Amino acid sequence: MDSSNDDALDIIITNVVATFRTRCHLNLRTIALEGTNVIYKPEVGKVLMKLRKPKITASIWSSGKIICTGATSEDEAKLGARRLARVLQKLGFKVRFSAFKVVNVLAVCSMPFAIRLIDFTKKNRPIASYEPELHPAVTYRIKHLKATIQVFSTGSITVTGTMGSFDFREAIRAMPLR
Amino acid sequence: MSGAGVSCPGCGSSNIVDDDLYSQAQMVCVDCGSVVSEGVLAHDPNGGSDVSYSWTTAVTRKPCVNLVKGLQRVKAICRILRVNKEIEDLSQTYYKQAYQHQTFIKVSLQKKEVLAGCCVLVSCRLLNWPITMATMSCLLDADPMVVGVVYQEMVKVLRIEAPIVNVTDVVEAHSQEYKISLLHVPEQLAENSKDLAKRAVALVELAADTWIVTGRKPIPIMMAAIYLAWQSLKPSKQRLKFTLDRFCQIAKVNKHRTALKRITEMKEVLCKLGREIPWVREEVTPDNVVRQVDDILKNRYALLRRALRTHEDALQAEDSVTEEVASSQASEPVEHTPNASAVELYGLNSERTQQPGDGNESPCTAPELQNDSQESQESAPNWGKRMLFAPPCVTHPKRRRAGLPGLQDVNGDEEISDSEIDSYIRTPREAREFALTQKILSLSESEKS
Repeated sequence: MDSSNDDALDIIITNVVATFRTRCHLNLRTIALEGTNVIYKPEVGKVLMKLRKPKITASIWSSGKIICTGATSEDEAKLGARRLARVLQKLGFKVRFSAFKVVNVLAVCSMPFAIRLIDFTKKNRPIASYEPELHPAVTYRIKHLKATIQVFSTGSITVTGTMGSFDFREAIRAMPLR
Repeated sequence: MSGAGVSCPGCGSSNIVDDDLYSQAQMVCVDCGSVVSEGVLAHDPNGGSDVSYSWTTAVTRKPCVNLVKGLQRVKAICRILRVNKEIEDLSQTYYKQAYQHQTFIKVSLQKKEVLAGCCVLVSCRLLNWPITMATMSCLLDADPMVVGVVYQEMVKVLRIEAPIVNVTDVVEAHSQEYKISLLHVPEQLAENSKDLAKRAVALVELAADTWIVTGRKPIPIMMAAIYLAWQSLKPSKQRLKFTLDRFCQIAKVNKHRTALKRITEMKEVLCKLGREIPWVREEVTPDNVVRQVDDILKNRYALLRRALRTHEDALQAEDSVTEEVASSQASEPVEHTPNASAVELYGLNSERTQQPGDGNESPCTAPELQNDSQESQESAPNWGKRMLFAPPCVTHPKRRRAGLPGLQDVNGDEEISDSEIDSYIRTPREAREFALTQKILSLSESEKS
C-alpha cells in the first residue's frame, strides 16, 4: 500500500452507465415520430434519445429496456433516467420506472509522474497485463473490487467498474506505481 | 438368368444365377452351389443414421479431424519460423489443451487457425525466442486485433504467464527483413546487416530510456531506428536526401505511417543530446543531427548525464527568478507546491542516482519534500514540460475542449416539471408535418432510383 499515491488524486468521473426497465412494450416508431432529439435505428431495433440536461444519451429498445450513458454522477444518471421515463409517459406509454441499476462507472485520474510500464508489469504479475501491440496501457484487474484499471505511461489512470466512486480512491491507492 | 461371362471359382462353370437370399443379393453357381458374389446385407438408413456422429463410439476411437489438422498447422508455422524443437513441442501441447477447452471447442475454423498461431507465439515468448504479434498476424493473414483477442483469451484459459517481448531483442530479427545489403542495392546505399542491427539496437535502447518506446507499437519504432541507423552509418548527401518512403521502397518493406512520427521524436532526443557534445560548434538541428549520431551513441550515457545536469541548472535558475517574483505577490495555496516541487526533485534525485542511462526516467525514489519553496503563480500545470525527457503525449498534450460542468447538487429524486418534459415532445402539428416530409423524401428517393 503506497500512501505516496495520494498526491494529485483528482478523480474525475467521466461516464456513468445505468439501465432501467419500463415494464411495458414501447412502439419505437411512435417515439421516433413524436419525440424530438431522437435517432431511429431500425436495422438494430432501437431508438437513441438525447436529453439536454443532464447530458445523457439513452438507447431505447421496444422490450422496454433502456440504457442511459453519459451522466457524470450516479444521481445525475437517476435523474436523467426518470426524466426519460416521464417523456415516454407523456408520449402515451404506460411506463413504470423500475429496476434502475448503475452498471458501470468510468473515472479518470492523473499522476504527476511518468510510469515505467514494463517494470510495473513485472512487479505485478499476473494481475497486470501489458501488450504494447494491442493497447498502450497496462490493464490491472482488481477482482475483489470488480474494477479494471488502465495505467498509461503518461501517468493517466482510468478506472472502470461497478463500485461506488468512493472506492476508486482505494483502488488507486492500492496500486504500487513506483 | 445367367450372369454375363462370369465363371464360378469353385467348378469353373458359367451357369451362374441371381438367387437373392432375403434382402441380400447373391450370385450362385448352379452346379456346385458356391456363392460367387454377394451384395450388401444392410444399407445405411436413408437420411443418415438415427444416432449423430458425436454420439457414436467413432468419436472416441478417432481423434477430431480438425484437431489433427490444427496440430499440423502449428507444426507448419513452427517450421516457417524455424524455431527449435522445444518450442514446437510446447506449442503443440498448448494447442491440444486449448482446443479441447470449452472456450475454444466451438469456435470457427478461422479462429482455430488463429489459436494455432497464438500457441506458437506464447511458446516462443516463454522460451526466449522473440517475435511480435504483428509478424504472427502476417503469417496467419489475420487481423492483428483478432489475434490479440484470441491470444489474451488463450493466456487466461491456460493460465500462462508469458514474459513481455523486449523490443531490443526483436530488432535484430526484424532488420533481416530489410533488403539493404550489397546483394540487393548499389554500394553507396548498401549496409552490412550486422552493423545496421547493432546501431538500430543502440538507437532503440536510447529511445526506451527517453520514453519513446513505452506504450507504443514496436514495429514503427524499429523501422524508424533502422532508417536512422542506415542514414547515420554513412551520412552522405545522397543518403540524407532519402525519405522514409524511398528507403522502404529500396528495402522492399511496407512503410508504416507512424514511423515518421517516431523519427521526429528520436531526432528530437538526439538533438537534445547532440547539444551537449563539447566539440560541436554549429547548432544541432533535426536536419544535421544525423551526422552526429555516431558520436552521440558512443557516448550516450555521458551525454545524458550532462543534458540532465544542464536542464536541472536551467530549472534552478528559472525557479530562483520566479521565487523573487512570487514573494512580492500573494502566495498560491499549498496544494500546488507539493506537485511542482516534487517534480523538480525528480530532476535532482535522478542526478544523484549513479545508474547510467537511468537518469530521471525512473521515479523510483520517493520524493522527500525538502524544497517547500513557495512556487510561483504558474504552478507547472504540465509537469512534463519541466522534465527533459517525458512521454511525448505529456509534452505535447492534445487540446481538449473544456467539458460542460455536470449538474451540481443533484440527488436523483427531484421533481420533474411538465414544461421540461414537453420540450422533448413534438406537438401534433409538428408530428404530422414531420411524417409528411418523410413521405415526400422517400417518394423522391424512390423516383430517383
